[in-house]
Amino acid sequence: MADDDDLLWSSSTDRGSEVRLFDRNRHIMYLQMNYEILPSGYEGQEINRLTLAYFIISGLHILHALDHVDKEAVINWVLSLQAHPKNEAELNNGQFYGFHGSRSSQFHSLDKEVSVPNNSHLASTYCALAILKTVGYDLSLINSTSILKSMKCLQQSDGSFMPIHTGAEKDLRFVYCAAVISSLLDDWSGMDKEKAKNYILSCQSYDGGFGLIPGQESHGGATYCAVASLRLMGFIEDNLISQSTSSCIIDLPLLLDWCLQRQALDGGFQGRPNKTSDTCYAFWIGGVLRILGANQFIDEKTLREFLLTCQSKYGGFSKFPGQFPDLYHSYYGFTAFSMLQETDLNSLSVELGISMF
Amino acid sequence: MDSDEDERIPLSQRPEWSDITPVPQDDGPNPVVPIAYSEEFAETMDYFRAVYLADERSHRALQLTSEAIHFNAGNYTVWQFRRVILEALNADLHDELEFVEHLASKNSKNYQLWHHRRWVAEKLGSEAAGRELEFTKNIFLNDAKNYHAWSHRQWVLQNLGGWEDELAYCDKLLEDDIFNNSAWNQRYFVITRHPGLGGIEGIRDSEVNYTIKAILTKPENESPWRYLRGLYKNNMKAFVTDSKVSTLCLKVLTSKVNCVFALSLLLDLLVHGFEPTQDLKNALESLIPESNNLDSDVAARVCLVLEIMDPMRVNYWRWRKSSLSSHVEDGVKNLSVH
Repeated sequence: MADDDDLLWSSSTDRGSEVRLFDRNRHIMYLQMNYEILPSGYEGQEINRLTLAYFIISGLHILHALDHVDKEAVINWVLSLQAHPKNEAELNNGQFYGFHGSRSSQFHSLDKEVSVPNNSHLASTYCALAILKTVGYDLSLINSTSILKSMKCLQQSDGSFMPIHTGAEKDLRFVYCAAVISSLLDDWSGMDKEKAKNYILSCQSYDGGFGLIPGQESHGGATYCAVASLRLMGFIEDNLISQSTSSCIIDLPLLLDWCLQRQALDGGFQGRPNKTSDTCYAFWIGGVLRILGANQFIDEKTLREFLLTCQSKYGGFSKFPGQFPDLYHSYYGFTAFSMLQETDLNSLSVELGISMF
Repeated sequence: MDSDEDERIPLSQRPEWSDITPVPQDDGPNPVVPIAYSEEFAETMDYFRAVYLADERSHRALQLTSEAIHFNAGNYTVWQFRRVILEALNADLHDELEFVEHLASKNSKNYQLWHHRRWVAEKLGSEAAGRELEFTKNIFLNDAKNYHAWSHRQWVLQNLGGWEDELAYCDKLLEDDIFNNSAWNQRYFVITRHPGLGGIEGIRDSEVNYTIKAILTKPENESPWRYLRGLYKNNMKAFVTDSKVSTLCLKVLTSKVNCVFALSLLLDLLVHGFEPTQDLKNALESLIPESNNLDSDVAARVCLVLEIMDPMRVNYWRWRKSSLSSHVEDGVKNLSVH
């Protein structure tokens, strides 16, 4: 990796003095480039194009650079991906009427305007609403009844959610999506909160973290989904650690200890014990600590240093130090720096995963 | 199709597809974040849309889904249509297992692939258990912490069976790599959910011995420390009174290296009402620089040592120290309830 050494530096002129800074301008350029056109390397993720758009648009918002975005075009494009039932009766046919992730899950029959497969997805619906909120669209204009009423049929008897009615894995990620959707639409009629809560609690592992499903290994992303969902649903308060732990519905001391232990010697956060630090967990675990009111226990200096070794000279962040950047890790790098209160960055609604106004 | 990846013949030039009119992607007038699709990708998806719209459940459509999945393994619409075709053709699902195994050998970190695999295994029923366990085992040879594979394995055990050798398999994985936290988690999964083991209370003793051995080999390994604590999850009384736990802490503290996890566990014991022995107090004493030796409370001293030995989390240990009295009260209260 010797050739990639200068990937570690924000600017070649800084090399001698070893000053590394968050390079906001380059990050904006990186996102703008991707906003114009995504390289073909992303075609394997094309089904999640809305998610890629979310990383770019919400990323630009965090970087205070939303003026680069054609808001009108974004709104029209996102709305065009919504699935609409033909009539009231269709709403009860067991299908989910949310947003499609891309045109490869939503296309039209040759003769009619009707979108043929309804393959709308909970994660795409979350990203659609997050983008609309970010560009300032009034979410009360959305037909939320069809989304929420049909979302109910995705919730399983154990409280978990399936992301799509044609069948898929069920786990904490989609409980989180359902919670954000309900929160953004300010209407919780689309899910049974009590059941969702019990499912989440059943995912807390013996070590205090949460697995994606009951019995699975604790994982940073799953732990975020669990804690953020509980917060959104109102089952836990902000700054939980300042309250008495005996009345808490989760095992807070173990959770707190597990999260803090995820900051590794190199300053970065790992997603699981004995694994390598990775940019995105600065958000997933850092976000949990923030919701719990425990972010003051993070060693911010070494975390910042680690993240800057993952900052690309082309803008964006990579998963591990010195690699090429990608949109996913870039986005969570930006959110991490927002939580670190980097100047000129918008602050974050940690549990929603987008910037606040 | 994978053998001829390098020399892919465009669908438009294959005679068997000549009757199909591809359906191009309609991205609308102002597409946002357009993707620079490669020609092969775009063409494959154009033909996929055509067969999907025609609801063509044929062998060639099945083949086309293989190609589309090759380009875009996350596309759940393609996977879903593939399942519809497999059912319509009443296809041999053992071939489908091979298809998935081949894909997984290239990229096994894909939710759709694993969902599909489960769908097939579910259809095959308990006869599939052995092959499914073998399949995940093969994945672990290259990636022993593959989260998807672990989910699948747990599902297989719970739904198709095959528990008999699972604890031995955990032994083997931990022998290969004692730092493998996924294997520790699987061990916990087995001892708490194996229908024939009788639950955690019955097996605790032998598991505690196993874990203590693992800890003494590598006291800096967080995984067995967490596992040990987990063995007492619903029985804090046993945690506090089992002398094996405090003896372990004493042993590690006396060695004076890598004792952060030992201190952390000792702190946990103390806040749950454990009365430290004189040996433990002495061991702790020897870890504190004299100039800092101001606090008489044992738990506070443990925090103090942790502040020094684990400087990255100094603010956390300080906070733990400052909130000690309320924690101890909680701990003692909980104990008296049991």
